[in-house]
Amino acid sequence: MKVASHKINCITATCPACGLLCDDIALENNNNKIKVLTKGCEKAVSFFEQPVGDTTPLINGKPATLQQAIAHAAKLIKTSQQPLFAGLSTDVQGFRAIYNLAQKTNASMQHMNAQSMTRNLKVLQSSGWQTTTLTEVKNRADLIVCIGTDVVSHNPRFFERFVWAETALFTEPHRRQIIYIGDKYLKTKHGQQPHGYSAEHIQCTNEDLPEILAVLNALVLNKPIKAKQVCGVAIDQLQELADDLKDAQYAVLAWLAADLDFAHAELAIGQITQMVSTLNLNSRAAGLPLGGSDGDTSANNANTWLSGLTLNDEVIEHDLMVWVNSFGSEKSPKISEKPLIVIGNNSAPLPRSRVPSPAYGRGLLMNDKGQGQTTSAPQSQDSPQTPVISPSPVSGRGVGERSDAAQIPEVFIPIATPGLDCSGTLFRIDSSVVLPLMRVRENALPTLSEVVNRIEALL
Amino acid sequence: MITLLKNGKLYDPAHNKNGVVEDIYIRDGYIIAKVNAADKINQTIDLTGKIVMAGAIDMHSHIGGGKVNIARMMLPEFREALKQYSEPEAHICTPNCSHHATPTSTETGFRYIEMGYTAAFEPAILPINARQAHLEMADTPMIDKGGYTMLGNDDYFLRLLSDKTDQKAINDYVAWTLHATQAIGIKVVNPGGISAFKFNQRRLNLDENNVYYQVTPRDILKSLSRAVNELGIAKPLHVHCNNLGAAGNFQTTLDTIQASDGVPMHLTHIQFHSYGLEGDKKFSSAAAQIAEAININKHITADVGQILFGQTVTASGDSMMQHLNARHASPKKSVIMDIECDAGCGVVPFKYRDQNYVNALQWAIGLELFLSVTDPWRIFLTTDHPNGAPFTSYPHLIRLLMDKSFRNEAFAKLNLDAQAMTNLPSLTREYSLYEIAIMTRAGAAKLIGLKNCGHLGAGAQADITVYSEQANKEAMFGQPDYVFKNGELVVKDGKVVKVVWGATHVTKPVFDMSVEKNLKQYFDKYHTIQLDNFKISNDEIADNGRGKLVSHSKT
Ligand code: SF4
Ligand SMILES: [Zn+2]
Repeated sequence: MKVASHKINCITATCPACGLLCDDIALENNNNKIKVLTKGCEKAVSFFEQPVGDTTPLINGKPATLQQAIAHAAKLIKTSQQPLFAGLSTDVQGFRAIYNLAQKTNASMQHMNAQSMTRNLKVLQSSGWQTTTLTEVKNRADLIVCIGTDVVSHNPRFFERFVWAETALFTEPHRRQIIYIGDKYLKTKHGQQPHGYSAEHIQCTNEDLPEILAVLNALVLNKPIKAKQVCGVAIDQLQELADDLKDAQYAVLAWLAADLDFAHAELAIGQITQMVSTLNLNSRAAGLPLGGSDGDTSANNANTWLSGLTLNDEVIEHDLMVWVNSFGSEKSPKISEKPLIVIGNNSAPLPRSRVPSPAYGRGLLMNDKGQGQTTSAPQSQDSPQTPVISPSPVSGRGVGERSDAAQIPEVFIPIATPGLDCSGTLFRIDSSVVLPLMRVRENALPTLSEVVNRIEALL
Repeated sequence: MITLLKNGKLYDPAHNKNGVVEDIYIRDGYIIAKVNAADKINQTIDLTGKIVMAGAIDMHSHIGGGKVNIARMMLPEFREALKQYSEPEAHICTPNCSHHATPTSTETGFRYIEMGYTAAFEPAILPINARQAHLEMADTPMIDKGGYTMLGNDDYFLRLLSDKTDQKAINDYVAWTLHATQAIGIKVVNPGGISAFKFNQRRLNLDENNVYYQVTPRDILKSLSRAVNELGIAKPLHVHCNNLGAAGNFQTTLDTIQASDGVPMHLTHIQFHSYGLEGDKKFSSAAAQIAEAININKHITADVGQILFGQTVTASGDSMMQHLNARHASPKKSVIMDIECDAGCGVVPFKYRDQNYVNALQWAIGLELFLSVTDPWRIFLTTDHPNGAPFTSYPHLIRLLMDKSFRNEAFAKLNLDAQAMTNLPSLTREYSLYEIAIMTRAGAAKLIGLKNCGHLGAGAQADITVYSEQANKEAMFGQPDYVFKNGELVVKDGKVVKVVWGATHVTKPVFDMSVEKNLKQYFDKYHTIQLDNFKISNDEIADNGRGKLVSHSKT
């Protein structure tokens, strides 16, 4: 789509900043400067209003032409024995291109959200599940249980769009019952009925979820429980929830894999999906995996039909990393001594001077476990990597101050962001809905496919 | 550029050619009648003694879209099985191979063309998921493709029907959906049942009400088949009947035929809908009754959905019946989904065993149907890939149809109780090459409304398959000598020699655009995407030049 840059233009756009893929965002393009007019949440505003950034490619931190950068990247890829294409934050078209390059160069692939995606895939591949999608939730759900998550920290408009809708086909949206099970820090106010009851909150730590869910499962199966409480939660309270689940017209059990960040979280997810199966023997219920983005659902779907297998979170040996990061620049790969090519969004400038080798990178791996969970890092879908490069004017959060000691990529190629600088296609978190992304501003940034095809031509 | 295929033995039922020796001229991807004296022949291929047919068309195969990809995702063990073969070349697939139940998009294209198939149609595109189906099909090389869009369980249609809206509004909605989803036909799966399951109904018979809408499957079938017919869509309504896989369901199938009221209707995978209730096990063959009804009702067509023994996965839009079937899953897992007030899906892995009474009888029922339906123009060769078996087992299935002694040998290995419950041994028919060419080429093209495919006459797309005649028909159909796609030689001796990208076939009936006014209101109120984003543009299919859209109209 051609965007006239000389005047003010109003556009309705699709937001790729989280898995909900809201496609009702009203934007204004004033001389190529984007402003979100209505519907955008904070995350959407950060996404659409991010600056174009410096469009100059860099080789070892020094400005280069696109052709030079592509040639240098091709040379590194050609000499690599075991390249790893990581990050993989892109849309379907970008993923197809990078997949083809990986095939030709015998590269491995890993998505930046691999850890959280794998939690769900483990359950899918061991027992399967019974799930639903967002339009069904909006029109049918009369009871929604949010397990280990407040949803809104990742999917800010979940309640606004799908729960407290004005009308629904088969239920009275304003009377839906919302129950949270989880941490005391969960932001439960979004679950309050408009002019009605606030949501019930069964408090526990996320690590206690498997045990609590096991008891809830037993209650749903009508098995007697002798204890009076489990992990500090009264059995009576769980019994009430079990009864509500059975009485519901359409019960939805929502979870968000990125928030279930503890060892063997798949067991908790398995407990949820097991409960859904049990409920469905007599009444209707469905699971709802939420969260998502950085193109994770798209990458995983496309990888599956192209290769027959899902993406996974295996530790992968490599001697070169190609980090693809289209939607935002705040997530970076872990620092390593191995050469790095970054193809990505450049809304935040990269460090330009190389830290003297071999010390660079050493000891700079910040703690990537437990730091900034739901409370302090709400923007991060999955935080295996600590932001080390980005000063992140985009996210507006304090973490990840630019470190002068950050790893300087051998090659950095700024590319167009789908949904902003170029068109594209993205899967919503429920995998069923796939939406086109639009180009909303003009610039000369190449797309990932263009860059990858030019690299490929030099191999 | 003119290519001459010389002296081939043509099996071209669209032109009543049954083994006639003739030359074929190809120019710019199409077959031409003959050349002028001045024209230069650039390439001549001698086909003396070879069998020549149009490229085969699979009119029902789950090759793209959500459920197929869910099947791939949930069954990594199918790929692990494939990895065990260090040299893929050295391994020839058999019906017992599990890995081809979930081929990748690339493998799908390659395996089809290697068997001489040049087109395949995805029969269950969920409107809301159509973009994914087309993305996967766009990544499927070598063959042409297209799909049938599912309606009849979507809340928009059910509201129209229960509000007794006039037929014109329904026709407009059906036509609009075809445009929006870039499809060539309309399918209905378990009419009303997928919706009913969301309201906690567990079975739905033809004259039973959907509890919420108070409409019956019969009402839905009538309305949709009338719409398809009145809009002039060539492909008759594609019907997956209620009660899939349930013992005693043949009565529903017979009632559905009767409900068609003379309007053309296609019954899909009828093998799964031809079960009686007789015998100790209360599961019997009703193939004879079903075949008889098809023979009498000339407006009815059907594909079989043959099962073959081995590991596969069943992927269906029928969430209601797949939820019941999930207890038979092997390996033990399944995915059942309610989708977007639009449809649903159920993915259940399954292993068919020849020593299992029910499975053995299912195998026999499918073959009984093939052999008892007399008109090969109205019955089609399918395994409902991957539900009954992977499509890679077609050569094996063709041999079962063409070779009675081979069939009898297989029969002798079946579960003995099942053997006693079928009249298969008394059916001595053997399909001829001509009849196979009808079922897999001319008939399929006619059914879908593809004027330039499925035949070898002037004007046809030069999709041509050349075989060496062999007594072993599985070997013959498994490995053609040559396959031409749009006039280009793409397969030689069963191996792909050139990669090409096929077209997407669609139909775009005329309709009243004002239908969008109500649809937009409905989308804004109840859906979770914009109406405009629901629609798939021609550019998306064109995919920057790799894809191509071919639009058909019935004239
Ligand atoms: S909720 Fe998610 S998709 Fe919707 S506007 Fe906010 S970030 Fe974008
Ligand atoms: Zn095999």
